[in-house]
Amino acid sequence: MKKLIVLASLLVCGVTLSAQEKGYLTGSLESNDYSYVNDEKSGALAGDDRFGSNNYLKLDYYNGKFTAGMQIEGYLPGSVGYPSELTGINLSNIYATWMDEDFSVTAGTFYEQFGSGLLFRSWEERALGLNNAVTGARFTYNYRDVVAFKAMWGLPRFGMGVFTNNTSRPNTITNTETQVRGADLSFALSNLLNWDNTYLALEGSVLNRYEPISSDLIDEGGKPNSLGYSGRVNFESNGFFAKAEYVSAGKKYFQNPDMNAENWYLQKNGNAQLLEFGYNGRGLGLTVTGRRLEWMNSQIISGNVSTSNLMNYVPAMCTQYTYMLTTFHPYSPQTGLVQQNFINSGEMGGQIDAFYNFRRGTALGGKRGMRVHANFSTYYAIAKDGTFQAGNLLFRDFSFDIEKQWNKKFKTILLYSMQQYNDSYGASPEYMTQNIIVADMLYKWTSTFSTKLELQYLQTKQDKKDWMAALLEVNFAPHWSIFGSDMYNHGSTKVHYYNAGVSYNKSRTRVALGYGRYKQGFICSGGVCRTIPAYTGANLTITTSF
Amino acid sequence: MRTFLLSLAILVSATAFAQVPSVIVENAKGEAVNTKTLLDEGTPMIVSFWSTTCKPCILELDAVYDALPDWKEEADFRVVAVATDDSRMLAKAKSFSEGRGWAEDFVLLFDKNKDFMRAMNVSVVPHVFVIDGKGKIVYSHTSYTPGSELELLEAIKKCSK
Repeated sequence: MKKLIVLASLLVCGVTLSAQEKGYLTGSLESNDYSYVNDEKSGALAGDDRFGSNNYLKLDYYNGKFTAGMQIEGYLPGSVGYPSELTGINLSNIYATWMDEDFSVTAGTFYEQFGSGLLFRSWEERALGLNNAVTGARFTYNYRDVVAFKAMWGLPRFGMGVFTNNTSRPNTITNTETQVRGADLSFALSNLLNWDNTYLALEGSVLNRYEPISSDLIDEGGKPNSLGYSGRVNFESNGFFAKAEYVSAGKKYFQNPDMNAENWYLQKNGNAQLLEFGYNGRGLGLTVTGRRLEWMNSQIISGNVSTSNLMNYVPAMCTQYTYMLTTFHPYSPQTGLVQQNFINSGEMGGQIDAFYNFRRGTALGGKRGMRVHANFSTYYAIAKDGTFQAGNLLFRDFSFDIEKQWNKKFKTILLYSMQQYNDSYGASPEYMTQNIIVADMLYKWTSTFSTKLELQYLQTKQDKKDWMAALLEVNFAPHWSIFGSDMYNHGSTKVHYYNAGVSYNKSRTRVALGYGRYKQGFICSGGVCRTIPAYTGANLTITTSF
Repeated sequence: MRTFLLSLAILVSATAFAQVPSVIVENAKGEAVNTKTLLDEGTPMIVSFWSTTCKPCILELDAVYDALPDWKEEADFRVVAVATDDSRMLAKAKSFSEGRGWAEDFVLLFDKNKDFMRAMNVSVVPHVFVIDGKGKIVYSHTSYTPGSELELLEAIKKCSK
C-alpha cells in the first residue's frame, strides 16, 4: 500500500508542476456503510463482521489536452452480497491521456465499449460491485466527422485490479492472466457524401482474447486465443431509425457435464443478432427491438461464477422497473447454460416500446398535457443449438403507464404490469404470473414543500401469493427529504419489510441515513442484476464531488 | 499518506476553476459529438445528467421544461440533457425524450458508456450543473426535490449579468 501512496503522490506532484499552466483538479468521494443485525422474521443474518463499507475516491486532473487521474477503492469489508473478490484498500485505476483535436492516446486504466457492447464493454457499476476496466493502452483517431477509429490492448480487471500485491492477500483472486486486444471502426458514409437529414454509418469491431488454457483442452483442439468480431449498420432519417448488429463472439469452452462422454470439454461458438428500429417525432417515441443470443457469456476468467466476471454487455432488453413490487423477478438474459441435465444455448425475443405525449390543449391532453407509455417484452429459450427455433417461455411483460399533471400542484402516475417469469431458465415450460398496479401521487403544497405517496399491489396465485406496499416521502426543497415505506406479504409469510430514512443535500454533497428490513432478491443496474441475501440494518451513504 | 495529502493540497491550491472537459458523446441521430462544441454558442447552459430509470431526474427535467417559457424571458440560455443510459436503454431514452416533449426544447446528448459522467465526476444522478458562456462551472447540485429547480434560474441569471 505504501508503494501505491508514493506512486499516487508522484502523480499528484507531477501534475502540480504542470499546474502552473492553470489546470484544474476534480474528484469525487463515495462511501456506503452498513450495520447489520440478526432478524428472525426475515431470516437475515448479521454475519461475523456486522458491518460493511464500500468506499471510492476518484481524482482527475485536467490541463489543456492533458488529463491524468486515479481511483482508490476500499472494502472494509464489502457489503452483504457484494462480490467476495472485492476486499481491502487498493489503487484500482491510474491513467494519463493526451486528447488532441483528432487523436487521443491513453496509458493506464480506461473504460471502452465497442458498438452496443455485445462484443466488448468495460465499465463500472458500483451498485453491483462491477468494474472490469482495462489497464493497458488505447489510441483513438477521428477523420473529420467521417471516420472514428479506436485500438486498444490491456488486462481487464477482476477483483481489486492489476495493481494488487498478490503476496499480501494470498487467498484472494486479485488478477488474471487474461489479455484483450481490439479495434473498432465507424465510417459515417452520409457525412462523407454530405447527405442532408440522413445519417448512415457502417461500423465494425474485432476483439482478440487471450487466456492460458489447460493441456487437456489443448489436446481437444482448444486455443488460448479466441477471435470475435461484429458488424453494424446505423441509420437515421427524419425521425426514422434502424440499427442492425451481428456479433461472432469466438470460441467458448465449457466443462462437459456428461462424465461418460469422450470429450472433457464442450466447444461452442458465441454469436448474437440485434435489430432495433422505430420512429421519434411529433410527440411519439416508438422502438421495436429483436435480439437472439447464443453462448454470449464472455468472461474474464473462464468458469468463475462471480457477477463481476464479465467482458461484454448483454443486458435484458425489457423495462427496468423501480417501484418496489415490480422488481421481484427482474429478467436476466440467458447467455448459455451447461448443467447436468439441461443445456441451453441462449435466448431469442424482443420488445415494443411506445411513448406518446398528448399535447397541451388537445382533447386528451387537457390544459397541461398527458403522457402515456406501453411496453411488451417476450423472450424464449432457443430450442436447438444454431437455430431460430423458440423453446420454452423465459419471460414476458406487458405494462402501461399514464402520467397526468392535473393542476399546478397535483400529479399522478398510474402503472399496470403483467409479468410472467420462468425460474427454471427454460428447462421446464412452467412459469409464474403476477399482476401489479401502482399509483404514484405527488402533491406540491408550496413551491418548496411537497409530498409523494406510492400505493402498490401485487397479485399472484404462485410463489408467496399477494403483496401490498406503500411509500410516503416528504420533501423540503432544496435540502431535506424524509421517507418511510412498508412492503407486506399478506398472502403467505405475513412479514413486513419496513424502511425509513432521511437525506440531506447541499450543492454537490448528499448524505442519506436509513434503516430497514430488505428481502432476498436482486439489485439491478443498467440491465445487469446481482442477487442479494436478506438483510436488516442501518445504512449511511455519503457522496460528494469537487 | 501525509505526502499524498500534502501534494493534493498543493495541487488544489494551484488549480483553476473546473470546466467542461472534452469527451465524445452521441446526439439524437447517433452522430459523435465532442462536448467542447457545447461552448461554441457562448451562452450559459444548464447541463443535467439523467437516466430513464431515475424518477427524480425526470421530475427535475419536467419541471425545467414546464418553467422554460417563463425562464427564457429572464435570461438567454440552453438546457442540455445528458442521458446516462447504456446501450440497453439508448433507443428508449431517445423515444422517452420525444414522448415528453424535451426533444423540441433541450439539447439531447447520450453518454452510453458514462464517459462524460465520469469526466464531470458525477457519482449519482440526478446531477445538474450551470455553466457560464465561457465554459466555467458556476453551480452544481446532486439529487432533486420539487422546488430545487428555482436555484438553477438564480444561477443562470448570475451568469447573464
